[in-house]
Amino acid sequence: MILVVSVLLRFVACLLFSPFLLGVIGKTKAFFAGKKGPPLLQPYYDIVKLLQKSGVYSLTTTWIFRAAPLISMSAVLIASFLIPFGDFKAPVQFWGDVILFAYLFGLARFFTVLAALDTGSSFEGMGANREIVFSCLSEVVLFLNFTVLVVLSKSFSLSQMIGDRSWASWTAVGPSLILVIVSYFMILLVENSRIPIDDPATHLELTMIHEVMVLDHGGPDYAFILHASAIKLFVLGSFFVTLLIPFQSHSLVINAAIFFAGMTGLAVVIGIVESVRARLRMNRIPSFITGAFVLALFGLIIALARAS
Amino acid sequence: MMTSIWLDMALAVIVILAICLLGTSRLGSIVALFAFQSSILAAVPFLLGGEIGIHKLVITIGTLLVKVIFIPYMLLWAVRHVSIRRDSPGILGVSTSLLLGGLLIALSFFLSSKLVLSGKTFSGLLIPSAFSTLFIGFLLLISRTKAITQVVGYLVMENGIFLFALLLFETTPLLVELGIFLDIFVGVFVMGIIMNHIQNEFDHMDTSQLKSLKE
Repeated sequence: MILVVSVLLRFVACLLFSPFLLGVIGKTKAFFAGKKGPPLLQPYYDIVKLLQKSGVYSLTTTWIFRAAPLISMSAVLIASFLIPFGDFKAPVQFWGDVILFAYLFGLARFFTVLAALDTGSSFEGMGANREIVFSCLSEVVLFLNFTVLVVLSKSFSLSQMIGDRSWASWTAVGPSLILVIVSYFMILLVENSRIPIDDPATHLELTMIHEVMVLDHGGPDYAFILHASAIKLFVLGSFFVTLLIPFQSHSLVINAAIFFAGMTGLAVVIGIVESVRARLRMNRIPSFITGAFVLALFGLIIALARAS
Repeated sequence: MMTSIWLDMALAVIVILAICLLGTSRLGSIVALFAFQSSILAAVPFLLGGEIGIHKLVITIGTLLVKVIFIPYMLLWAVRHVSIRRDSPGILGVSTSLLLGGLLIALSFFLSSKLVLSGKTFSGLLIPSAFSTLFIGFLLLISRTKAITQVVGYLVMENGIFLFALLLFETTPLLVELGIFLDIFVGVFVMGIIMNHIQNEFDHMDTSQLKSLKE
């Protein structure tokens, strides 16, 4: 019974807290720009507003276009069950779940791309093209990060890879961890299409990567897409926070507070990065990802040198 | 134990900054990254453990004065003076030089595993990071075209040598270290003058164009 309640709580927390991160990012950017900015709860208002609308579908689209937002949403929600949120253990864990974790996001992306191609719009085709090119590169780096963690923890399960950290492990494998954390943060920006890779707030189709693919979605479908991207940020961000902060306190409440404060802090950091950096030119993005790759490689070399 | 982990962290950050240098083409950022790297380098003698003597103090203060304050200040002055802001990625692209940097790091770990050293090594990371910093500095030196970046590449190489020299820390006389500081100081001074002359003579600082003959 307790198990069911805790799993439900995790699920609800993930659903409800994730749009808040987008609000925090928006507020931070507004603060840096010297503006008042939209209210902190604006993403919730957007999602509720969109859910009350009815969908409009182009006649050229097929069932894929209608299915894609639902599939993306469910894929990221399933992924949220595989990952520990700070001290809250993942309900589902098995040997090799890290690969399922990565490819659930792959599945969500695949259907978003298919839906974009389904509309037959040349803009959306261009966006799909870019999304695939950059995700091909970032996937390599993501798996290199996972490899370092597998070597460090000698375990192939996500919960043990990132969850079982203590302050003692920081003193033992600190250099590798810090390299993975920097490299993973760069990939986090790529995966969630934030600045300096992609600007989620841009209004110019020619410079978009992710946003251009969802131009034709409207109403509840678009609400699902917005919410799915918020949950993706939450899930990938909780990987980051759980890895960074070893949860040692025995009180569940304190651990939960640390975790949510960590997530909010991460959103603030992303907001700061977005405020002080300009978007990279399209042809510089592979260099950015290569930089993350080299950092992860360095981490792997240190980890292997330790292990041998 | 605690000193060792901070030492490892500092060494990792030094190599991370070297990688960042490879990926940067804005001259101001390059100089700033170098200054940051040197400031961490200045702390390394204290992280090695042991008692704090006059020797360590002189080295740290010397590094801070020369590499963190004086040289970056002079290089920034040069950047303002020649009014260029960016280096071209050079003969290699940014991605290629980053990947080469990764390869060089792997190579330096391989090399240092083969190296037989007598005496204290302090940390398993010290020699590999010394080699990595050295190699990456060398890569900067040979792959970039603007004179300022080449000077920074030379200085990053020197940072690598500094790390390596820390192994002999207790046996080297202070006079040798002071001599090295003087060398860098004079070296950068001379390079500054040369940069100025290249600029005055040809209206740019692109050393790759010095190879072409002019009537």
